[in-house]
Amino acid sequence: MAYQLYRNTTLGNSLQESLDELIQSQQITPQLALQVLLQFDKAINLALAQRVRNRVNFRGSLNTYRFCDNVWTFVLNDVEFREVTELVKVDKVKIVACDGKNTGSNTAE
Amino acid sequence: KPKLYRSVIEDVINDVREVFLDEGVDEQVLMELKTLWENKLMQSKAVDGFHSEEQQLLLQVQQQQQQQQQQQQHHHHHHHTQPQPQQTVQQQSQPQQVLIPASQQAPQQQVIVPDSKLIPHMNASGMSAAATAATLALPAGVTPVQQILTNSGQILQVVRTANGAQYIIQPQQPVVLQQQVIPQMQPGGVQAPVIQQVLAPIPGGLSQQTGVIIQPQQILFTGNKTQVIPTTVAAPTTAQAQIPAAGQQQPQQQQAQPQAPLVLQVDGAGDTSSEEEEDEEEDYDDDEEEDKEKDGGEDGQVEEEPLNSEDDVSDEEGQELFDTENVVVCQYDKIHRSKNKWKFHLKDGIMNLNGRDYVFSKAIGDAEW
Repeated sequence: MAYQLYRNTTLGNSLQESLDELIQSQQITPQLALQVLLQFDKAINLALAQRVRNRVNFRGSLNTYRFCDNVWTFVLNDVEFREVTELVKVDKVKIVACDGKNTGSNTAE
Repeated sequence: KPKLYRSVIEDVINDVREVFLDEGVDEQVLMELKTLWENKLMQSKAVDGFHSEEQQLLLQVQQQQQQQQQQQQHHHHHHHTQPQPQQTVQQQSQPQQVLIPASQQAPQQQVIVPDSKLIPHMNASGMSAAATAATLALPAGVTPVQQILTNSGQILQVVRTANGAQYIIQPQQPVVLQQQVIPQMQPGGVQAPVIQQVLAPIPGGLSQQTGVIIQPQQILFTGNKTQVIPTTVAAPTTAQAQIPAAGQQQPQQQQAQPQAPLVLQVDGAGDTSSEEEEDEEEDYDDDEEEDKEKDGGEDGQVEEEPLNSEDDVSDEEGQELFDTENVVVCQYDKIHRSKNKWKFHLKDGIMNLNGRDYVFSKAIGDAEW
């Protein structure tokens, strides 16, 4: 099964909210909503792996780190994200990272 | 990036079409899902130019309408020469709102704080910490700095945001604010940043408005007629350009409204409190000398009094204040550490920074812990 990691993104959250509204108005069942989300997981994982091809660098200070269930969670402060085109500065960022090995093969086609 | 999101949406919608049909759900519901999804994405402004221009225009029109309403009410009273974004009362059912300045061209924006992230330390000028905490819901990074007692006895909470700008939160009860210009203010001098008090209009479109700009250092109330203040407070941008203009306007307002005796003038958090802190710190030092020695004096910082301490962990980098928690969701190739130097090798990530979305196929980072 593909990582459900990306549900907490703008794209994923807006989908979840939309699904919730449809459930509220009883136009779809929660089960159907779940299916949609699972499909979203596959689609986004695939899209990121295949359609995105850019690199970003960043630097900052590490505030906290956690490694649990093979998931890293970091909180960094005063971070600069650098892409070729632009520079973005934030004073706090949380990074959640799942294990990147062998992800592609897990998605059931 | 908009293309990426578009393609994901298309893929998902197409893939679930079959599932929808299997469950006997109409295609129309599927279309509704797609529309809802796209609309939310557009509203979040995390992605540029995502959806049709038509809908973007619609948003702009709505914003302009709000501006026009405010300007109409505006001309009654203060002759603000600068276009200050004003706040109209839109939804009164919502709890306290902290208005945060948007970009210069945009109209007011509301930051709705549904949950309460409370910061425990408060100024002890009347309200207990618990009481204040109970009445205010502050977003992260916003700390209460001062409380201002107005003529009518209303307590206003001044909070400071991460970038140093200060805002006044007005509690929910309608309040009659009588203020006047404080004689000490310096119209010409920009050194002492100036605040203009703006009262949002009464629902129903009555009378005038004033707005609150709080610059660090000095809070100035400009007096005018009594007003009922709704829940929201307008806080125009803290752009430097406005300060001189604001300064120039002060004398006009002074002449325009001679008023009853003034309101408490509150200085910025910096000066006075630090003096107090020093005194207290000395006491602390004596008492806790032993403990500090035990710790080996690791803590270079002397303890500050609970008030105003730890105002901000992060540096003030002059960023705009955003409500978003900056999040990066990705996968890791390799995480490496050497002593306290960490190296991150990440991939396939989606980032939300300062409200906007970014994606990467690879990200490499360094950090010191």
